[in-house]
Amino acid sequence: MVKPIASAAAFAAVLSTAALASEVRAPEDVLQELIDNHESAYLTQSEQNIMMMPDNAALWTADEGKELFLEKRGPNNVSLETCDLGKGPGVVDGAYVELPRFFEDTGRVMDLESRLIYCMTTIQGFAPDDPAVKSRHGTDSDMMKLQTYIASRSSGLPWNPPLDHPLEQAMRDAGEALFYRRAGTSDFSCATCHTNTGNRIRASVLPNINAPHEWTKAISWPAYRVGHQQVRSSNHRVRGCYWQMRQPQSIPGSDAAIALMSYWTDAARGQPAILPDMKR
Amino acid sequence: MNHHTSTVTVFAAAALLGLTTSATAAPPAPQAAYTSMSPEELAEYLVFEAGGFDLDATTQDGSTALERMIQDRTQKVCSAINRSGEELDRATAAKISALAEETIVFPEGGVALGDWKRGEAIARSGYGFRIGHRVDDHASRTPGGNCYACHQLDPNEIAYGTVGPSLTGYGRLRGTSDAMLNHTYKILYNAHTFFPCTNMPRFGHHGTLTQEQLTDVMAYLLDPESPVNQEVTETAGNEQASAD
Repeated sequence: MVKPIASAAAFAAVLSTAALASEVRAPEDVLQELIDNHESAYLTQSEQNIMMMPDNAALWTADEGKELFLEKRGPNNVSLETCDLGKGPGVVDGAYVELPRFFEDTGRVMDLESRLIYCMTTIQGFAPDDPAVKSRHGTDSDMMKLQTYIASRSSGLPWNPPLDHPLEQAMRDAGEALFYRRAGTSDFSCATCHTNTGNRIRASVLPNINAPHEWTKAISWPAYRVGHQQVRSSNHRVRGCYWQMRQPQSIPGSDAAIALMSYWTDAARGQPAILPDMKR
Repeated sequence: MNHHTSTVTVFAAAALLGLTTSATAAPPAPQAAYTSMSPEELAEYLVFEAGGFDLDATTQDGSTALERMIQDRTQKVCSAINRSGEELDRATAAKISALAEETIVFPEGGVALGDWKRGEAIARSGYGFRIGHRVDDHASRTPGGNCYACHQLDPNEIAYGTVGPSLTGYGRLRGTSDAMLNHTYKILYNAHTFFPCTNMPRFGHHGTLTQEQLTDVMAYLLDPESPVNQEVTETAGNEQASAD
């Protein structure tokens, strides 16, 4: 088991990460390969987290999410097996690294969270204010379980959000403008902290959006946040950043949040996803 | 289908002209309209018209969150420069500096050093002005300047950020002339005066630190007694509790 991974890593150094892009891999192996191939204080900053990756509590969350995905639920008493996450009804493998994307049936660019809500409300018949749909944060929420399961089936695959549709391109470009948009009482934007390599806030090393090999870890959510003792989502990360920036609360599922994610996912293009990840 | 398209066009036009004003209540426009906007126009639309943020929330100073998102000239120009990845041209730099200079209000009776111990507490505290899911309560705790998030100051503090330059030995290297006091006050008040489009927040201009707090932070930077101006070995054992 160890040998093919080691040789694959050697291969990747010579060719590119695309060489082993087709199969789902354990997140700790993906991270190790990135560390082996790149010098990055961000990737290596928590020795303890790296050590704990094989016992990541989020792996249980993913297992629970799989059961939930296959379970007949909601007023319509059906599973999510007909949910189209972008690669066809029921296709989970590799779906997450190709989000956000445009969906014909809604005419919108959607991220994982908004697409899941769409499936739960239209297929399973949940009301939008049902706790199954409405509760978005924390390990015990259905939303985090389902997201972690679906994301984990993209671990090791290269981020590859489509930009063929004009709306996908428009959302990505608006997301870039949002990323650099300074505002508020501290004049901050996302770019203030995330456009240099190796910079720290206090003792935390910051990821650089212009360094795809470290940015892939930055956007690898869901992740177990050791400091919170909870599995957290992309939307939770965005909310935290806007809070730190002294700007208004970001609304999950809004086009602003989706645009930002379109840009940040595009910035990690080609690099393998680490899912689920562990973060400080 | 035709009816749908015309609604979309109207919506887009309205958005571009700024005719729709209410923020979070309105349902988001059909995305099809987005492709007719520039990235900047769409970003503004998503912030102010499409429910991207809780703009109705109140803030610590009684304004609404909406006002936090409205960019002033400095924020707008510096965002665009930063995004372009290009160097700031001299003419724009001069304009940003001049704008900053105009904002500066000196304390009555001139700039004098405050209390470095109070300054240290301000430098260590990241409390204040956060809104949203957890709102900082200024009545129960005074906001800080969060200097350590980005700068090294006391050489014995290991948890310092590196987004800004190290300020260790700031006063030891510069002295405490009136010119240096005024210079330092201006940087804290509005750093764009000397460093146009800097990442540093405009503490005085935004009023996130009071004039008195600014002079306390100045004392932390400049006072010969301040830990910032001691050698590493002379201040071994940091007694100040970290109040991040």
